[in-house]
Amino acid sequence: MRRYAARRAAALVATLFFVSALVFVVVRILPGDPAALIMGTEGSREASDRLRESMGLNRPLPVQYVEWLARALRGDLGRSIQYDLPVGELIASRLPVTLPLALMAAAFMVVAAVPLGLYAATRHRRAGDYATMILSQIGISVPQFWAGLLLILLFSVTLGWVRSGGFEGWSSGVGAALRSLLLPAIALGLFQAAVLVRATRSAVLDVLREDYVRTARAKGLSELRVVGRHTLRNALIPIITVAGIQLGQLLAGAIVLESVFALPGLGRLALGAITARDLPVVQGVALFIASTIVVINFAVDLVYTVLDPRIRYE
Amino acid sequence: MRRTAALVVVLAALLAVAVVPVATPAQAPRPLVVQSQTEPPGLDMTATPATATSGVIFYNVQEALVKVDRHGKLVPWLAERWHTADNRNYTFFLKKGVRFHNGRELKAADVKYAFERALNPETKHPYAKDYEAIGDIIVKDDYTVTFALKSVNASFLQNIARAGSVIYPREAVETMKSHPIGTGPFRFEEWVRGDRIVLTKNPDYHVKGLPHLDRVTFRFITDPNAVLAALKAGDVDVSLFGLGPEHVQDVQKDARFQVLVGDTTNDVILAMNNSRKPYTDVRVRRAMTYGINKSDVLKGAMFGMGKILGTNVDPLNPYYVDMSKVMPYDPAKAKQLLAEAGYPNGFDTVLKVAPQYYYTVRSGEVIAENLKKIGVNVKIEQIEWGQWLSRVFREADFDLTIIGHAEAWDIKNYANPKYYFRYDSPKFQELFAKSEVTVDDRARRDVYVQMQKLMVEDAPVVWLFMHPRLAVAKKGVQGLWKDLPASAADLSEVAWAPAK
Repeated sequence: MRRYAARRAAALVATLFFVSALVFVVVRILPGDPAALIMGTEGSREASDRLRESMGLNRPLPVQYVEWLARALRGDLGRSIQYDLPVGELIASRLPVTLPLALMAAAFMVVAAVPLGLYAATRHRRAGDYATMILSQIGISVPQFWAGLLLILLFSVTLGWVRSGGFEGWSSGVGAALRSLLLPAIALGLFQAAVLVRATRSAVLDVLREDYVRTARAKGLSELRVVGRHTLRNALIPIITVAGIQLGQLLAGAIVLESVFALPGLGRLALGAITARDLPVVQGVALFIASTIVVINFAVDLVYTVLDPRIRYE
Repeated sequence: MRRTAALVVVLAALLAVAVVPVATPAQAPRPLVVQSQTEPPGLDMTATPATATSGVIFYNVQEALVKVDRHGKLVPWLAERWHTADNRNYTFFLKKGVRFHNGRELKAADVKYAFERALNPETKHPYAKDYEAIGDIIVKDDYTVTFALKSVNASFLQNIARAGSVIYPREAVETMKSHPIGTGPFRFEEWVRGDRIVLTKNPDYHVKGLPHLDRVTFRFITDPNAVLAALKAGDVDVSLFGLGPEHVQDVQKDARFQVLVGDTTNDVILAMNNSRKPYTDVRVRRAMTYGINKSDVLKGAMFGMGKILGTNVDPLNPYYVDMSKVMPYDPAKAKQLLAEAGYPNGFDTVLKVAPQYYYTVRSGEVIAENLKKIGVNVKIEQIEWGQWLSRVFREADFDLTIIGHAEAWDIKNYANPKYYFRYDSPKFQELFAKSEVTVDDRARRDVYVQMQKLMVEDAPVVWLFMHPRLAVAKKGVQGLWKDLPASAADLSEVAWAPAK
């Protein structure tokens, strides 16, 4: 186990190194110059050249990368060009929006998808199964931004129950903050829930065909115990695998939904930074998201061993 | 059956969480929530020319010696008057008792400091070039300052009125990017990155009785559909930028809102690369003008809102002459001109547009249709804004492009042969230079008329339309500017109508 963890940790570092180099190169070979973007069409060319020089963008790429890496290793991700704030601080300031958003979306996803998937599996090829699959198909087909707009239309514009967007901030109370994240979390979790319903259904169906399920039923166990204890636990490994991947996708989906709901989260920070060629921020956010996904995968691998004691990474 | 019931309970619980109603706060009528499309790239107007920055800060937080008022007139502002005997030495008499938001009084030394800093190449002021005419700045006393120009400069007062010419306290210069301090009707309170900027009333404002609002919140909402939703849900009171004509039409039917359709200095043009064949030939450029039906473009891109342009001088400019009908849509004439230029069967060309500005793509589609009729096959290439700035604007790597030029008095770009459309006319450059040293209003107007005529003749670009100001506000909001002669959103006179 220890060797396994060490190996994974080494892979983690290598992945992050690779990601950082890739992002660094990609962002810089993209046509588009941060100085030109700041100056727009109104500043003079001379002004934008001077700005470019002062931003250190005229130096060779490898030099810039090594400098950035050396600082990043000391925990300094640089300063945002657009906001003139340390990148680390900016990312940290966006987490209180994006993390709860992703967690709420994940909770919605699990709470909606797992029971529905179970239900569909136990109603295999009956009306309930078909209805669930149609629902899931709709969930997969509806683009997230559109789902977001429909939710706003219903709950904010028509009913007036929640605000149409923006973030109240945790300082205005946990309830208010959670409420401003509710619609985006549902819109964000919808697609993933629809996918997870299908994964759950097929995983449970597989297990339901096993001999030990028949045995459990033969013993006279209630259907609830058969499904809840004997089936679900054994079906969890593929479900957790899919859910783990989806957690990463939730962060990506947040980029779109944070724009629709005007939330000051990590996704919108990334989007704005890409548009403004705020290179230090793009790099910092990419590195952060990559680390998060790698850590989630690592956690998922560890969860396997808990779920199935037969799995050992020796 | 029990499982179904359990499921229903779970779903009902989820729904219940989703529909907890919000407690409506007591409606105080004084604050105003304004939607703004783009978050500013920093709040220092002496470091960025971004309209997103001036749209929040200019006239609200920071002001200049001279102001462009809502009718486009230059009026004394932080200076209560100015005087010049020879058009070379301008003496400004500062208003007394004007205080910065930090409590200190504005003095002539602050004016000197602001402009010397702008002229210092190390500060990277975006408009440094516009102050080059300034030779010396002499502080006579605390309230009197004289600008000695190297030569007569007819644009001097315009340049003193720009967003980059604001006066700020030198002790706050380091924090201007994130916390601007000025003399304006509102104080900067906070900037929640990614979400909003909050301004509060300046109780010591130098114009008595202003501002009316206690608090202004600029919220950044980019997606136009989200803007509409926020307006209709009552979360924002005013939308200043970001709604397209189709959204405005939708709101016009709604009795809760007023729609302001006004003039701006934003000229939308189809730029041709004058240094690249076939646009080196003036006959081809004229053919392009004759071949485009501008009213089709205005209908297709703007639902008919806006005004058709004939040159780059916009209707808000005092020297504006309506040239929009001089070269009307005439495909037969366009074909004839193309044949004369050696393109009887037309040619293929590429139009690069940045979809960040929706009107560029829409106009492009109409133009491509128009030009097909005269044999010019336009391939539309959509590129991202950052790429557009590098490839089109900086490198001039393009045949055709569409963009709006928002700056007032930007006719000067046509006198710059290195400007991206590469229009190089010594005659025009000479006229422009003359206009810069002609101070007498009537004489200067004559030069401007000549320049406008020459522009039409040379057709370096096709001037399509003036992009209208499209603002939406709740019915009770009063005092917003209808036209936009300056890139600012002056809220000092804005108020809520008294409750009936």
